[in-house]
Amino acid sequence: MVTIMGISRRLRPIAFALAWSAPCAISAQPIEPPPQSQPAPGPATGLSDSAGLRATVFGTPPEAMAPLPAKVPLYEINVTLPWRLPVPEILWFDAKLRVWLSAQDKPAPLAIVISGTGSDGNNKTISILRAALYGAGYHVLTMPSPTFSGFIVSTSSTGVAGDLMQDGQDLYAAMQEIIAHLPRKVRITDIDLLGFSLGGANAAIVKSIDASEGKLKIHRVVMINPPVSLFSSVGRLDRLFAATIGPGEMGVDLLYRRLYAQLANLYRASDRLELDEKFILTAAAVTLKTDAEFSQAIALAYRLQLVDMFFIGDLYAKTGVVIDPEHRPKVGDSLEDIQRDLRAKPFADYFTKVFAPYYLKRRPEATSASLIAANRLDIIADALRFDGDYYAQTNSNDLILNKRELDWLQDTLGPRIVVYDHGGHLGEIGDRRQVADMLDMLAGRWPRSAP
Amino acid sequence: MKTAVVMSVGLLALSGCASQMVSIRAVPDQTPAADNAAALANAAAFAEAVATESAAVESAAAETAAAATASGSPPEAHRGPEAAPLLTPEDAPPMHTYDPWERFNRFAYRFNARFDEAIFLPVANTYRRAPSPVRAGVHNFFANIAEIDSVINYTLQWRLKYGLRSLERLVINSTIGIGGLIDAASKLKLPGTATGFATTLAKWGMHPGPYLVIPLLGPSTLRDSVGFLADYGAEYGINVAGLYRGNVSWVLGPVNTIDQRANIDFRYYSGGSPFEYETIRFLYVRRRLIEDVGLHANERPKKPAVDSPAGK
Repeated sequence: MVTIMGISRRLRPIAFALAWSAPCAISAQPIEPPPQSQPAPGPATGLSDSAGLRATVFGTPPEAMAPLPAKVPLYEINVTLPWRLPVPEILWFDAKLRVWLSAQDKPAPLAIVISGTGSDGNNKTISILRAALYGAGYHVLTMPSPTFSGFIVSTSSTGVAGDLMQDGQDLYAAMQEIIAHLPRKVRITDIDLLGFSLGGANAAIVKSIDASEGKLKIHRVVMINPPVSLFSSVGRLDRLFAATIGPGEMGVDLLYRRLYAQLANLYRASDRLELDEKFILTAAAVTLKTDAEFSQAIALAYRLQLVDMFFIGDLYAKTGVVIDPEHRPKVGDSLEDIQRDLRAKPFADYFTKVFAPYYLKRRPEATSASLIAANRLDIIADALRFDGDYYAQTNSNDLILNKRELDWLQDTLGPRIVVYDHGGHLGEIGDRRQVADMLDMLAGRWPRSAP
Repeated sequence: MKTAVVMSVGLLALSGCASQMVSIRAVPDQTPAADNAAALANAAAFAEAVATESAAVESAAAETAAAATASGSPPEAHRGPEAAPLLTPEDAPPMHTYDPWERFNRFAYRFNARFDEAIFLPVANTYRRAPSPVRAGVHNFFANIAEIDSVINYTLQWRLKYGLRSLERLVINSTIGIGGLIDAASKLKLPGTATGFATTLAKWGMHPGPYLVIPLLGPSTLRDSVGFLADYGAEYGINVAGLYRGNVSWVLGPVNTIDQRANIDFRYYSGGSPFEYETIRFLYVRRRLIEDVGLHANERPKKPAVDSPAGK
């Protein structure tokens, strides 16, 4: 007779896995505030400065965090959407749309939060927003970004992510489906939308779609660190990648070798008995010191998300950049070479080789230039300017914006945007003031009248 | 009979996840206030750890630089025999990983992901609803039994300081800690780190061998799998308090497994990435290789051949 006692210890090593892969994993850890803020070098970093880069990587320090509730109940909802495209065999795990709900016991407004580029609906950033909103009495539904692998496969009607209007329509349809299937005990009095990073732009577009279709009657929208032009923001991140890591696979390889050697030396010097998560976090804080290193971490995290979206787009659009449409990979096949090829490709390649060919074929009147123009927030400029229910929060050192884009946001939204002088990209989320302002905006108490 | 019961429960659970439009299930509550308080409480300790590590790196780097400028020859020639030679980026193994059994591994990975999603994780989530003192007791109990294996292996690795520490922990926790239910030793500033035959084999210089995804258990290498079997064999052989054989093991085994799973914050494919297999393999093998570097602190690691994948 065989018993299984003791087998379980084998499970432990996998716990380590994600800590190393995501620089954002260190955002729960406190760091010393940087002594002063100086402009980060290079043309690629938008408005960011030294403090902005740090805040982008580490997030809000715990001492600056707004009061959060002790307990937030959580439901995971998996939805099979009727319009889903056939799921490729190797993406079997992305067949259902997964969203999360925290419901109040009493009737309450519903706040729907849309995640940032390539991110799922239950990450660290979203958990902070969920806690703040739930604490303020909202039901909270959190959704992945339309550029998240799990969304593209389960929900996208094209498989080619990144078109603001198309993604907005898919999101809008998915929201209707989810809300229609919520348990009856969840009594909704009003619906508001929030989104951060690309999700901010998605939220605004969804509201504008709802304004004409009226199926959800979305009330207010708060965009947190939104891009103005999707392509100019990702172009900036691509330049950041090229400038700090180097173009192509060579740069990634060099970065990896340096990190490996640093980590191994640190580990050996530390006299530790195992390489655990705590060590990784400490090592990350030791290793990440200069602006260049912060920039590398940001650029790499972004590129790894792009790789997934690129892969899936190429698979669905049959554009043959890395996947031969006649010989699609199967479950047992290695994807390592494909992954390596994609790591070296910037967003510009996704646009010219997958996105543009796909959409130009379906929209005969479109051109490359018109596709780029259609991915700017100014396609809903009138709504942003004249509808008082659009709000935004951003930072003067957000690396995804340049001066002109920030000016445009301020000019368009007028008093309905607040610009903080710190935080970089998403590094102010959860901060006392950010949370207080966000809640006031959602409740229609903004702009606050002078005391 | 028992096998039949286990299998039918498994099949039932698997059929339960058959497609339905919308499924809603409760997952453990989040505790943001407590999490932030913990982060705040850890801040000082964390800053201190960072400062210590930074100092260690800087002094090592300064030493290396000084030695290099003194003669222009490779730095390790001038370092004392007790000092570990520093790794350079050229010492890092290539980014691709040795995986001759990839086809099998990928199917095993998919099986594990499905099994975890359908059975393991829901059960672990249910278990997480138990009061936390109960879960801590269960966890400490099993950790205490595993301490025996650590004592044996630290001794085999000739790291007697740690072996002694594990032995002390075992004695303290089995007595003051009421049969291991309370981790009294950690409270007495005697924290432990478990070890096993896998590490012993590594210490003895055994090569990790090919990457291997073990069905139900997850990422491993050939060496780690052998080590795991040896751990199991040792525990089965010692059969402490008769827990490893007979009917009681059918209760304790699953409880141990569920406790372990509930303590791992990992979910298959939560990142949705088509390349998760690659990512996990990359991280697992690099982690093992770095731990091996740590085990052989005074040796310069062999320079990897240019085209030889990591782990070969």
